[in-house]
Amino acid sequence: MNQIGRPIANPIVVLRVEFDDWAVLFNPDTAAAVGINPVGVAVWRGMDGKSGIEEIVAEINRNFEEVSTDALEEISEFVGVLAEQGFVGFDLTDKHR
Amino acid sequence: MTASLVREAGSPSPAVMHTPRSLDIEITARCNLRCSYCYFFNNPAVDYRELPTDEWLEFFDELGSLGVMNVTLAGGEPFLRKDLPVLLEGLVRNRMRFSLLSNGTLIDEEIAAFIAGTRRCDYVQVSVDGSCAKTHDSCRGQGSFERAIRGIHTLQRHRVNVAVRVTIHRHNVNDLENIARLLLEELDLPGFSTNAAGYLGTCRLNAADVLLNTQERELAMATLLRLTQQYKDRISANAGPLAEGRMWRRMDEALAQGAPAFPNGGSLGACGCPGRKISVRADGAIVPCSMLAHSELGQINRDSLAEIWQHSPVLNQLRSRNTIPLTAFEFCADCSYVPYCTGSCPGLAYAITGQVDHPSPDACLRRFVKDGGTIP
Repeated sequence: MNQIGRPIANPIVVLRVEFDDWAVLFNPDTAAAVGINPVGVAVWRGMDGKSGIEEIVAEINRNFEEVSTDALEEISEFVGVLAEQGFVGFDLTDKHR
Repeated sequence: MTASLVREAGSPSPAVMHTPRSLDIEITARCNLRCSYCYFFNNPAVDYRELPTDEWLEFFDELGSLGVMNVTLAGGEPFLRKDLPVLLEGLVRNRMRFSLLSNGTLIDEEIAAFIAGTRRCDYVQVSVDGSCAKTHDSCRGQGSFERAIRGIHTLQRHRVNVAVRVTIHRHNVNDLENIARLLLEELDLPGFSTNAAGYLGTCRLNAADVLLNTQERELAMATLLRLTQQYKDRISANAGPLAEGRMWRRMDEALAQGAPAFPNGGSLGACGCPGRKISVRADGAIVPCSMLAHSELGQINRDSLAEIWQHSPVLNQLRSRNTIPLTAFEFCADCSYVPYCTGSCPGLAYAITGQVDHPSPDACLRRFVKDGGTIP
């Protein structure tokens, strides 16, 4: 993921929790859908445009056991994939301004 | 970990979803046609009244909160509703996509443009049952063919996906090649789907005139199987002669080879509907499926759809039909096809036998063969 900024979940996208906290993200504008696991759900819920990837990963570390040491890289990649498919945007403004 | 954050589409799921993904809604109890094989009308269990706009919009808000992804609006004829644009806006506002099932006769430029403008329409399905007015109108009424084709052209001009459904009956079984040519060559549709008139609703009153007999069914299967090769799989079916022809070929070959039982074979199956979708009648009654319209599970805006979806004993019974072995039925006694059979659709089983948990006699390969039928 090359973007630098705070990811924002596309508000048009529907999060459907289906089984045991597994979920589907559904974009009704494009009909695209992707299944995600409970960590993916937590990442999705953390993408509020206020938190950077590092903060989202820290939250994941607090709430899940046995999180991979490569979590930052892997979650960044995950968010990048969602961004490519239009599920996620980025707030590129300086939040301290 | 990205891979582990994403689940492959279609992977098996261990339990029932929290909420349905899709709904079939009979948005109106009115129709401008009176087709002789209609499954919808003349069901004594159904109250043919419809709800006002605000009740549907309230319900669509509930669907939005439940994360429902797709709604199919049917009827009756949904384009009879003057408030259709308002209803579609309600679906769009609640982040859903939609489809419409129609006879095509009322589709004009204005509504086609509106549908296209929503950019949320998966397809409008138009029924076409003949290659010409004589065949099509035989069951659907004079003038309906011309208007349906005009409706398709209107949708195509506005780049709305058109899905055509051909319902096969005694009056069009000899017209299938011409229908395929009309739809796939002249109208240049990417494909169409087929089924057959079933013993439901108005069709029960006209069964002798409408339903395929064994020889006509065999002809339909043979023709459609040949056409699917000719048109490279542009003809599809989940039910009716094409689906049966494919399934029965597999079953017959498996029996001849002494093959192991099919997955899910040997016990009652289901169409999968109760696992992912649910239906609502025009009067707001929540039912498992439009083919089980008698089975009222609750009422919209009064009962929680999520509660019904998760806890309805009727739905849960439908979901567990696969625990009932076909050998439990006298109907299936000594049938060699049992390891490869699922008893087919519970809706049609109910219509014919009065029991949901029963194999559908209409889908019985052994009976078809016994009646002189040959699998093409």
